[in-house]
Amino acid sequence: MSVYLLPVILVGTVIYSLAKRVSVYDCFLDGARESLSLVKSIFPYIAVIFICIELFRASGLAYIVSGWLSHPLRFLGIPPEIAELVLLVPLSGNGAIALLEDIISTYGVDSYIARCAATIAGASETVFYVSAVYFSKCKVKNLRYAIPVSLFSSFFGMVVACALCRVM
Amino acid sequence: MRREVEIEYSMNVAFAALTLLSLVMMTFAAPADMLPSMISGVSGAIVLILKLTAVYAVWLSVLKMAEATGLDRKLSRALRPVIRRLFKGESEKSYDYISVNLASNMLGMGGATTPAAINAMASMCREEGKATDNMLMLLVINATSIQIVPATVIALRAAAGSANAASVFLPTLIATSCATAAGMILARLCAAARSAAEKRKKG
Repeated sequence: MSVYLLPVILVGTVIYSLAKRVSVYDCFLDGARESLSLVKSIFPYIAVIFICIELFRASGLAYIVSGWLSHPLRFLGIPPEIAELVLLVPLSGNGAIALLEDIISTYGVDSYIARCAATIAGASETVFYVSAVYFSKCKVKNLRYAIPVSLFSSFFGMVVACALCRVM
Repeated sequence: MRREVEIEYSMNVAFAALTLLSLVMMTFAAPADMLPSMISGVSGAIVLILKLTAVYAVWLSVLKMAEATGLDRKLSRALRPVIRRLFKGESEKSYDYISVNLASNMLGMGGATTPAAINAMASMCREEGKATDNMLMLLVINATSIQIVPATVIALRAAAGSANAASVFLPTLIATSCATAAGMILARLCAAARSAAEKRKKG
């Protein structure tokens, strides 16, 4: 069924645009144009996080840290191979995408591990970034329960994601 | 922009510490691999950036069409009654911002999400520097992600040659819904516990 998800979305939007007399050609031009400026602005973040990840792995530090985390994660049904992703997701969205790509090329795109990683990356948000930027105008310092609640709920979502990937 | 600076500072500390620790360990374990692995990191980044350029060029076009046909405005109008019940006692202006924020977040329109959220927070703010329970509720909903179609993830899977790139759609939707529901319930409980504690203090 999900094979038809994207075709339905794409055909639907194009037909709806034609019905509303929106210029589809111009929309695609705008999209392609914006994509260039978007990747230009995120390239530094991706490059730096890749350097960091590469060093983290090559030094053997990743091996040690995932060794610590593997038991508790396995207990919750999260494959320990994606421990780094679990840690990075609340901090950096670009970093999460970078790690996801790395996991996909290491374990194969349709493997259980890569599907878990994809589900986690798709279902989560950068908790710390969001809380920093959203309150930038009203100068709120004390977020009380917001961060722990968000982090705990996101983690709960990850556990659910891995359980679902097992059966779906 | 104060908090943004703080976050950047903490990212700076985390990045520097992690990099230094890795570098020191490598100095002992594999000194010759240090520079090659940093460079291969950036090579990986360039490959990914090219892939992302293609992904965004396609997906941003779809979002442009959704925007030009007013799909986002329609969704935000449909969300209005729910928002009114969830965030009690706010002004119409706040409801406007909140509905734009949540609608664009659900559609994955990153560009419209953040400014709407910042304005929503500012308009709900009663006392400078103090976060109300409604503000924290909005934050928790956004921080647990409510995107309907994880477009970037699906496109990356498609680019990697997946047999069914969109197969993660349903698990992602269920997982993110569970996370958001858990966040909303916990935020409510925390708010209730706090106001109960305040009452006890007064009485």
